[in-house]
Amino acid sequence: MAEKVLTRNIDKEHSESIAVYEAGGGYRALRKAVTSMTPEAVTEEVKSSGLRGRGGAGFPTGLKWSFMPKQVDPERPHYLLNNADESEPGTFKDRLLMEQDPHLCIEGSLIASYAIRASTCYIYIRGEFVHPADVLDRAIAEAYDKGYAGKNILGSGWDCDVIVHRGAGAYICGEETALMSSLEGDRGYPRLKPPFPAQRGVWGRPTTINNVETLACTPFIIERGADWFSSIGKDKKNTGPKLYCMSGHLKRPGVYEADMGTPLMELIHEHAGGMLHDDRPLKACIPGGSSVPVLTAEECQVDMDFDSLAAVGSMLGSAGVMVMDSSTCMVKALHRIAYFYAHESCGQCTPCRQGCRWIETILRRMLDGGGRPEDVDLLHDVADNIEGNTICALGEAMAWPAKSFVKKFRPEFEALARPAVRTGA
Amino acid sequence: MVKITIDGEEIEVEEGKTILQAALTVGREVPHYCYHPGLSIAGNCRMCLVEVEKMPKLAIGCYTPVADGMVVHTENERVKQAREAVMEFLLINHPLDCPICDQAGECHLQDYAVEYGTGDSRYVEPKLSLAKAVDIGPHVLLDQERCIQCSRCTRFCDEITKTGELAFFQRGNKTQIGLYPGKQLDNPYSGNVADICPVGALTLKEFRFQTRVWYLKNTPTICAGCARGCNIVLGTGTQNVQFTSPGQFDDRIKRIVPRANEAVNGHWICDEGRLSFQRLYVTERAKTAQSPAGSDVEWEPALEQAAERLRAAAASGRAAAILSPRLTVENLFAWRELLAGLGKLRTAVRRIERGRDDEILIRADKGADSQGARWLFGEATGEQAVLEAIARGEVDTLLLVGDPLDPDDTPVLDDATRGKLTDLIHVGPFRSAAAAQATSLLPCASWSEEDGHLVNFQGRVQRVSRARRPRGEGRPGWRVAAELAQAAGLTWPAWASHADVFRAAAKAVSQLDGIDPEDVGLLGVMGKIDEAAAV
Repeated sequence: MAEKVLTRNIDKEHSESIAVYEAGGGYRALRKAVTSMTPEAVTEEVKSSGLRGRGGAGFPTGLKWSFMPKQVDPERPHYLLNNADESEPGTFKDRLLMEQDPHLCIEGSLIASYAIRASTCYIYIRGEFVHPADVLDRAIAEAYDKGYAGKNILGSGWDCDVIVHRGAGAYICGEETALMSSLEGDRGYPRLKPPFPAQRGVWGRPTTINNVETLACTPFIIERGADWFSSIGKDKKNTGPKLYCMSGHLKRPGVYEADMGTPLMELIHEHAGGMLHDDRPLKACIPGGSSVPVLTAEECQVDMDFDSLAAVGSMLGSAGVMVMDSSTCMVKALHRIAYFYAHESCGQCTPCRQGCRWIETILRRMLDGGGRPEDVDLLHDVADNIEGNTICALGEAMAWPAKSFVKKFRPEFEALARPAVRTGA
Repeated sequence: MVKITIDGEEIEVEEGKTILQAALTVGREVPHYCYHPGLSIAGNCRMCLVEVEKMPKLAIGCYTPVADGMVVHTENERVKQAREAVMEFLLINHPLDCPICDQAGECHLQDYAVEYGTGDSRYVEPKLSLAKAVDIGPHVLLDQERCIQCSRCTRFCDEITKTGELAFFQRGNKTQIGLYPGKQLDNPYSGNVADICPVGALTLKEFRFQTRVWYLKNTPTICAGCARGCNIVLGTGTQNVQFTSPGQFDDRIKRIVPRANEAVNGHWICDEGRLSFQRLYVTERAKTAQSPAGSDVEWEPALEQAAERLRAAAASGRAAAILSPRLTVENLFAWRELLAGLGKLRTAVRRIERGRDDEILIRADKGADSQGARWLFGEATGEQAVLEAIARGEVDTLLLVGDPLDPDDTPVLDDATRGKLTDLIHVGPFRSAAAAQATSLLPCASWSEEDGHLVNFQGRVQRVSRARRPRGEGRPGWRVAAELAQAAGLTWPAWASHADVFRAAAKAVSQLDGIDPEDVGLLGVMGKIDEAAAV
């Protein structure tokens, strides 16, 4: 088994304390960055490491940082937002990092803040994460005490505040522009793009927003170098260690660290202990959180990285791997997903506001015995009418699973697309 | 300027314009709900999706700026399918209660359903059942079922009045417009939300169930409520009154809605102006002339008696006149010519001031033509000076030209002052308390019953239009002045219409120099004033 990187501390006693973190080499990367590197050099290092966003879209992190203005206009300070609104069903990796290794999250946030010349870093954490928020708050206080955050960090002359902001528990606030609206105190509505956050982000100022796990990778890149980081993983475009959230019909569900590009079947059988019931074979798997297209058992012979999953028509997403065995009713499974998106649709734009609930209602009616032959095509059509027509990606988050479930498991849907109770002979 | 191609037509448009605006310049409407030219862009209805070549997804026309060489399709299959999809989504929870909805006939949802809808629905689930006729303020009712969540009303309250009473509550398809706890939609501009609501979700209490909109006669005109002179459309009834007075025509004013004029009122009017027409109905209208004897008489003898007394008093220097600041330029000019012909009369134009100027539209000066009055009369003698002259016994005959909009804005003299007058000649549209004091009453047209021009506080000359006939024997004020002049034996030009009067005024008044009524148009023209003095 490969070296543990992101999770190296989590089994230690008091892993959340600064003493344990420092003893394991913590904050050395921050010191190296702010005392011996320019922000450009930090960005370049991350760029050449091949690090891609772990939140879902897989956008190259260093490239994103390079979109920020090179000079700070005093009227328009820069912000770093650490997106800790981890809400995608099947995803629970950021929570582990924040609870068990909060200083890694903070150090990563500070390195990114330095790279983009931010003077404030917000960690926007979902409201339900009460305990992780408390852990982070205590860790931030320790970091301030030790001079890792606040004024004149490590004598470099650079000031940066780190603030935990708790959301109110809306899935949509994990969408980067909705997160900004929420942080500003408005309703968590996604914004129209462009302008992109690097031009006009939170409070209209240049902003970079990264996922917790993404930022947690950066101390290692700075300390051990881009070449070391990019040597891990499948190829130069899919690099680094990765946390996989294994759930569903597995013997040992949980968060597992493995290289980017680890085969899905290896994760299921070696890391997560195999299928829960030996007599129930794998039927389907959602590889990247509930919003990505589902894979059939045959399609599960795939490596877990951005490009391999894209090649089979799905996505790595947040690496929330949900494994379903042969006992799973795919209509029920899709209904559960639709119920989530219908509930979490922010309601701003028409196709998502109406379409998600419509899909949910059709599925519920089918499950309740009121299916009609035309429902299968209607499901696909409604999903198709949402896809591509919405302000943010939540529309696709409903449309992609709906279309892939119907397409790949059509006979199951057709079986329910007729009334359960018949009249007459 | 950039060149773009819309549906095969190459056009040049200003840089920075959006596709939707560019399409409008060549007469193509990209259907939309949430876009409103007076508000920020929300981009939430998704009705204006168009295809832009080289863009992977459809783009919203209301937000996407034009770029040189852009090729846009607003009518192809892909766009059509997206529009049908949005229409279907909007209608699945819509109550389809058009037969009892005030918006029917001017409803975007209806119009686009006809143009872009599929005609049937694939939705077989139960519709959402939500609150109807929710009282959200003194003038506006909310129907939650009809709302399409376009956010125009919330943006209006946030951006224009900055009062922020309205917001969205709940999420997903349960998203609803609502008031913040403890708030009411009672800002001075609240009625505008009913105008900008593209559907029947927000309706004006005062217009609810008054008429179907297709029965309205719509006349573009100017609000006479204050010196702003907001551009409006006056909706008057056109139906026969079936039960109360068979054969009669109901030409009452049903509503006032704003008419866009960026230079004056943008897209809005205040609630006071919106409901100002109600002032026309609070007092009985003067329909016939009244003689000094106090009884209704024929027009001719009443006119002759009034003219004779006015002439005699003016000749002995014992006459004065008080004019309303809401009279049109034509009327003010005709009275000015009459008074000048009769001799040197003490003449006052009233000042009606209430409240204060606000940051949006409302002016403290309620005289819709007080700027025009200043141009014609200079800083005329104040009303108070005339009343004092009466009290001192220097004046015993008063010509009072009453307010054409609000009967309460014509001065009622106190008993002592009235006692000093032997003759009070009242020209006005109402049988108001002021008219009851008169010895002679000559009815004239009210606002909305005559054509003319008003000059707003900025010095903009604007057309006020006749939407219905004057009552009874009433006639435009300048005709009354002309008839009085002729009865008093003055030489008088042969004016055939208000346009003739205006042209005469334009020759005599420097600020109106060179302005012809033909040129005023729907949006008005600026008077010739010192640039530095212009507001």
